[in-house]
Amino acid sequence: MENLDFARMQMAFILGFHIIFAAVGMVMPFFMITAHRKWLRTRDEVYLKLTKAWQKGVAIFFVIGAVSGTALSFQLGLLWPEFMKHAGPIIGMPFSLEGAAFFVEAVALGFYLYGWNRLNEKFHWFTGLIIGISGVSSGILVVAANGWMNAPSGFDFVDGVYSNIDPVAALFNDAWFSQALHMTLAAFTAVGFGVAGVHAYQVLKKKNIEFHKKAFKIALTFGAIAAILQPISGDISAKDVAQRQPVKLAAMEAHYETGTGVPLYIGGIVNEETQEVKYKIEIPKALSFLAFGDFNAEVKGLNDFPKDEHPPVAIVHYSFQIMVGIGTLLMFAGILFLISLKKITLSKKTWYWILFAFLTPLGFIAIETGWIVTEVGRQPWIIHGVMKTSEAVTPMPGIQYSFLMYVLLYSVLTFTAIFLMKRQIKSINKNA
Amino acid sequence: MEIGIVLFFVFFSLLLYVVLGGADFGAGVLELFSSDKNKEISRGVVYRVIGPVWEANHIWLIILLVVLWIGFPIYFNVVSIYLHIPMTLILVGITIRGVAFVIRHYDAIQDESQTIYNRLFRLGSLITPIFIGMTFAALIYGKIPLLEEQTEPLDFYETYVAPWFNLFGLFTGFFYASICAFLAATFLIGETDGEVRAVYANKANKALIAAFVFGGAVLSIGLINGNEFILTTIKSPVAIVFFTLSFILLFPLYKAIKNQKVILTRTLAVGQIMFILFAAMYPAFPELVMTNKGSVSILTDIAPPSVIRYLAIALIVGSILILPALFHLLKAFNLIKIFKK
Repeated sequence: MENLDFARMQMAFILGFHIIFAAVGMVMPFFMITAHRKWLRTRDEVYLKLTKAWQKGVAIFFVIGAVSGTALSFQLGLLWPEFMKHAGPIIGMPFSLEGAAFFVEAVALGFYLYGWNRLNEKFHWFTGLIIGISGVSSGILVVAANGWMNAPSGFDFVDGVYSNIDPVAALFNDAWFSQALHMTLAAFTAVGFGVAGVHAYQVLKKKNIEFHKKAFKIALTFGAIAAILQPISGDISAKDVAQRQPVKLAAMEAHYETGTGVPLYIGGIVNEETQEVKYKIEIPKALSFLAFGDFNAEVKGLNDFPKDEHPPVAIVHYSFQIMVGIGTLLMFAGILFLISLKKITLSKKTWYWILFAFLTPLGFIAIETGWIVTEVGRQPWIIHGVMKTSEAVTPMPGIQYSFLMYVLLYSVLTFTAIFLMKRQIKSINKNA
Repeated sequence: MEIGIVLFFVFFSLLLYVVLGGADFGAGVLELFSSDKNKEISRGVVYRVIGPVWEANHIWLIILLVVLWIGFPIYFNVVSIYLHIPMTLILVGITIRGVAFVIRHYDAIQDESQTIYNRLFRLGSLITPIFIGMTFAALIYGKIPLLEEQTEPLDFYETYVAPWFNLFGLFTGFFYASICAFLAATFLIGETDGEVRAVYANKANKALIAAFVFGGAVLSIGLINGNEFILTTIKSPVAIVFFTLSFILLFPLYKAIKNQKVILTRTLAVGQIMFILFAAMYPAFPELVMTNKGSVSILTDIAPPSVIRYLAIALIVGSILILPALFHLLKAFNLIKIFKK
């Protein structure tokens, strides 16, 4: 393997790591302030305990998200100096705004975490709300910058020179909205189901049931609503990608030959050599319809594009399938949860809690696979149609060692986070 | 005009990171060099004082980074390629100490794992400013080889290691770590009283002496090697005036520390850092990377005017939003002593 491959693996690894902590740090404050509000309204001690328990989770996830985000902002330059040399000024806008939003978040977090019994109750709660709002804004801005890599805009590129830079047009690139919407809903879905799942498992174990049921309900209300809305956003994204990056769409569906009335493949094993997909389920004309809203629309296949501009097909196809599969499953689970709010008998069944405990990691897997689709699906480009990833990489050799170091460091952090969460739960159950 | 505003923010965020981030690192350094009894006390004080502003202190680094990459892409490009390794080490340090700092207070069960968190926090707090110092030193040491300028092929060590891994860098690292400890101790004088306060006053003085010794070593090594940057600096009247000013300030500072004056020590300490930073950067400006064949100006091919304008606006608007909130945060937790009767 070459330096470039290790640089890509390192970037994928640290992004994949950061996104989990970033998503939790973005969404959990909303659960926290919901519980906090219930405490202020009802003065039911359970809600206060829940708020404080979640606050510890927010603090731990926030710090890991913040330091890994700091590392990430350095990595852009360290791994891809040629990319940053040209892209830095163009996509600086979302990053500088993100810096501001992150600052607001850090200040609000300072107020919230240390403000118990020291600040006015309402103001204290309000600072919690600011944490959530600024966190989501940060997420949207960073995704907008990524959107620019998929849909570069706000500059002219002639003979290798970037000119007429318009940072505002770069921020509002064609992909920012569909990507930001999809990611925000994904974060709420994943964290909602993730947190709810952890509490569902505690309910199953018959530990501190009242507490965990209340936690479950708050988290999953957010998760379920997001999961039910997500397919709409997925549809917007698919149509958008079909227009802007037809080669990515073709890779997502392992679709090689251009045609009309193209079927949708579900599952299947891709053979990139023979360009065949085996063992798939075929839904006639569905891809044409999903991509263009017309059962007979033409969908371009990979073979319409030069071979050196093909992204890796198999991994993009599998990742896409996994993401959509999980998204669908979580949508139905979300509907089931909403029904169970009316039909109380459902939540008395053991299988109900087993199901939600089982769903704990799935949203995060969907986020990871979704980013694989976005990022690997854009290859070989780092800026779609403008700069190739191989042109952007650092000239410094030996990236495999730094890759190894990050794998080690972040594995330790992951185990630490899991270890700390286990101890959190243990102490909550003990003090109940 | 706009570029002036942007450069002001580069200096402003650098200064704030050096001071606030530095005090934050210094808190860990102080803990490391304390007796067991004082370690426990420090831990409590540090948590109370730094906890609420911990994250905000470190965002200045991100602001600095983002402003550099947006406004000064060529400069940023050189720094990211040739200082890849020390910057990675800084990141590892920031990660370890940051996480350790937070989890030692948020771990739900307090047991022997605290020992590990404490150690990581303290060691990370010492190592990170040393690497920061080494990175700064590398910028001015004059050994960075721009690959496109070289006539003879250089190996990995000469290109990516030698520019920062040397005595000059090491002593600059020690110098900055002592400054951090000094800042933290000065800051903590105002947060404690009685016996504990005397301990910090003592530590502030010790750290100051250490900074003086290491600073002298850096200067000597620079002079012996005929370092271009150091030579330019000591020949510049402006730099001499500011260095002298910061030296004169040492006397009232020393006295203020001894008499445990809260506001005065802080003001003098920050003033001193500002003078040193300004004196070090002014003479060579804008040539802020010394290479083995010359230098790279921070103003080489800066971003086009449209970008600089938006950046300046974003920075001003951001400051209007954030600075009052930050100020209020400091005030709410009684970290600005002027408001205390």
